[in-house]
Amino acid sequence: MFKSVEDVQERFREASYIANRRIATVVYLAERMGRPVLIEGPAGVGKTEMAKVLAEATGRRLIRLQCYEGLDEGKALYEWKYAKQLLYTQLLKERIGELIEDTHSLPEAVAKIAGQDDAFFSYRFLSPRPLLSAIQADDPVVLLVDEIDKAEPEFEAFLLEVLSDFQVSVPELGTIVAKHIPLVVLTSNNARELSDGLKRRCLHLFIDFPAPRDELEILRLKVPEISERLAQAVVTAVQRIRAMELRKPPSVSESLDWARSLVILNAETLDAALVESTLTMLVKYEKDMERVKGALDKVLADLG
Amino acid sequence: MDRRILEFIGDLRRAEIRISPSEAVDALAASAEIGLGDRETFKTALATTLIKESRDLATFDRLFDLYFLDLQALGEGLKKALGPTDPRIQDLLERLMAEEGIELDPLTELILRGGGTEMEMAIRQGGQHVGLERLMYFLQIGYFSRRIQDRFEWDEIERDLARLMQLLEAQGLDPGQLARIRNYLDLRLEAFRRLIRQHVERELERRAYRQGEKLTREVLTDKPLFALTADEVAQMKSVVARLARRIKDALALRQRQEEKGRLDSRRTVRRSLQYGGIPMELKFRRRHREKPKLITVCDVSDSVRNASRFMLQLVWSLQECFSRVRSYVFVSEIAEVTQAFNTYPVDKAIEWALRSAPVDFHCRSDFGYAFSRFCRTELESLDRKTTILILGDARNNYNDPQPWAMKHMRERVKGIIWLNPEGQWGWGIGDSVMPLYAPHCDVVRECRTIGQLAQVVDNLVHHWWRRGR
Repeated sequence: MFKSVEDVQERFREASYIANRRIATVVYLAERMGRPVLIEGPAGVGKTEMAKVLAEATGRRLIRLQCYEGLDEGKALYEWKYAKQLLYTQLLKERIGELIEDTHSLPEAVAKIAGQDDAFFSYRFLSPRPLLSAIQADDPVVLLVDEIDKAEPEFEAFLLEVLSDFQVSVPELGTIVAKHIPLVVLTSNNARELSDGLKRRCLHLFIDFPAPRDELEILRLKVPEISERLAQAVVTAVQRIRAMELRKPPSVSESLDWARSLVILNAETLDAALVESTLTMLVKYEKDMERVKGALDKVLADLG
Repeated sequence: MDRRILEFIGDLRRAEIRISPSEAVDALAASAEIGLGDRETFKTALATTLIKESRDLATFDRLFDLYFLDLQALGEGLKKALGPTDPRIQDLLERLMAEEGIELDPLTELILRGGGTEMEMAIRQGGQHVGLERLMYFLQIGYFSRRIQDRFEWDEIERDLARLMQLLEAQGLDPGQLARIRNYLDLRLEAFRRLIRQHVERELERRAYRQGEKLTREVLTDKPLFALTADEVAQMKSVVARLARRIKDALALRQRQEEKGRLDSRRTVRRSLQYGGIPMELKFRRRHREKPKLITVCDVSDSVRNASRFMLQLVWSLQECFSRVRSYVFVSEIAEVTQAFNTYPVDKAIEWALRSAPVDFHCRSDFGYAFSRFCRTELESLDRKTTILILGDARNNYNDPQPWAMKHMRERVKGIIWLNPEGQWGWGIGDSVMPLYAPHCDVVRECRTIGQLAQVVDNLVHHWWRRGR
């Protein structure tokens, strides 16, 4: 349990994640209220990372469910190990024969076997998928449902059901209720509108590109070998590039990559030639690239 | 506090943010968890439980600031509104009160000492039972300010002040000094009245936030496109953007919902091998959803300028969502603008299409010529998946309408949809050749207002691309 919002910030920092006060408040509330968090925001601002760090900071295990088109209940919840069941029936043919040896009629034999069918529909033959493992887990876990917007609306509705009761029913086994309410983090890139029900159920957190000060801190934390002067310059330049109307503005992960590559190149300061040659780390579209190159003097103005 | 939060939620709902009862309950729980110690944290707690669309965050921020006034910051502002304090007079009055030990009305004391924050609290208290919830219009500001003023005992204050002046006179101050002190006190009284008015104005903004906007939108939705002013066109832009988004969402969804097709025997058999030849898992063919192919043809002559503006915006957004959209504009010469629309941002693209696209803007529109040209050059590229969307008033200026071109086009494509920004009563009258083209179109719709455009879009999404040919 987190003690306070400050405690969240502190522990996240220890796990090398700079959480601003907003993020920390939402995380704190999510844990206290036992509510899922829905994180939205541009790609590469650390949405998934936040879930990982949350697991680390709370000492919980992380269970990840990556959503994609065509993800269905079976792949998310559980599957029967048909092959294993078949194999066992084959191997146990003799025992089954023994079992029904002393029966005299067909109904009697069926009744006898029916009495044993739990043997085949038991946990032994159940292969739990992320959702079921999160619910079954003996220790508290963090469940990350990544890119929920990629899955179909039907799956979303099903997920909503699981998230509101934290129980699933397996027809052959009965209902399984969660021992501990998992901390649930959902991320979305807004590829489509999510259903109202899901949004209602979740706490909403919008993570935007970090403020210059936060980004500087992230940079220092993640690329410790960078010189102070270069870090400042990188942050300023990245912020300026983001302000341009690009198809895909550089995200935090990209600016970190860029900073790392600059460190490897032993750069001390930014100059036009250097930026131009390393720009591919930062900007991923041809058109964006041209635009940035065109405005390079503005990006680098008084950065020395 | 709970009551305050619920009232705030009422404000948000009035500003068209949908908040369910369960979310309201969450907000209360969250605020109880967080406490009121830190304003920003409290704000985040409310935002995270109440606001689920990032586009609503700006509204939330503004209303939060109006409702949960930052007393600290406000106090500073109020101090300024009160005008500079005159330390000499202040001193004098303080000394006087200490010496004589007179009892003053609390309000008089407020006006004398005048902390902005305390004044605001007093005003708020005074405003509690004057029916502020009925405040909806700007004309009511005066009335409610007066009602709040009436809650205070001005006679008492007046008496207190008179008593003070008498005491000062008894101390032997000369008339000039007395007049200055009196003037100073009057100014403060005046400032206090102004504060009351400001309070009411703030309340109004809070209550009516975005109400006006909503009203305009409703009116504009039903106003004929040709009658919109430039300002109104700009306002309606967001509406069109929403329309485009709706198309995008619906189509993206549809493309993904792969219905199961027939049994795929090959994959099923292959799969059954691991179960000893028993077809445990059935595999189905995926039914391929056809990707819609869209060609938009937009009349950009002066007569339909406003309508084409919206249409072009829609076209631009469509092009952004789908890879297979091609766009044309014409007056009489027809030109493809797909490339430009892909390159330019929306405003620039529209301006470009309306002014400097490679067509002659000064001639009269000639649908027949445009279609026949289109038919000659592009017929090859049309196929059964293509939908053609035409925007124009079909006013052909008595040129040859050449309906055969439409007929040829129709034979090759999935369908033709015609949006006419002119009222249906005018079709076929004068130089309108709509009745000649209509038989070759699958859908012909009047599209005079944004409301009608929205209907057309809904129709496209729900029926057109759903059915096969």
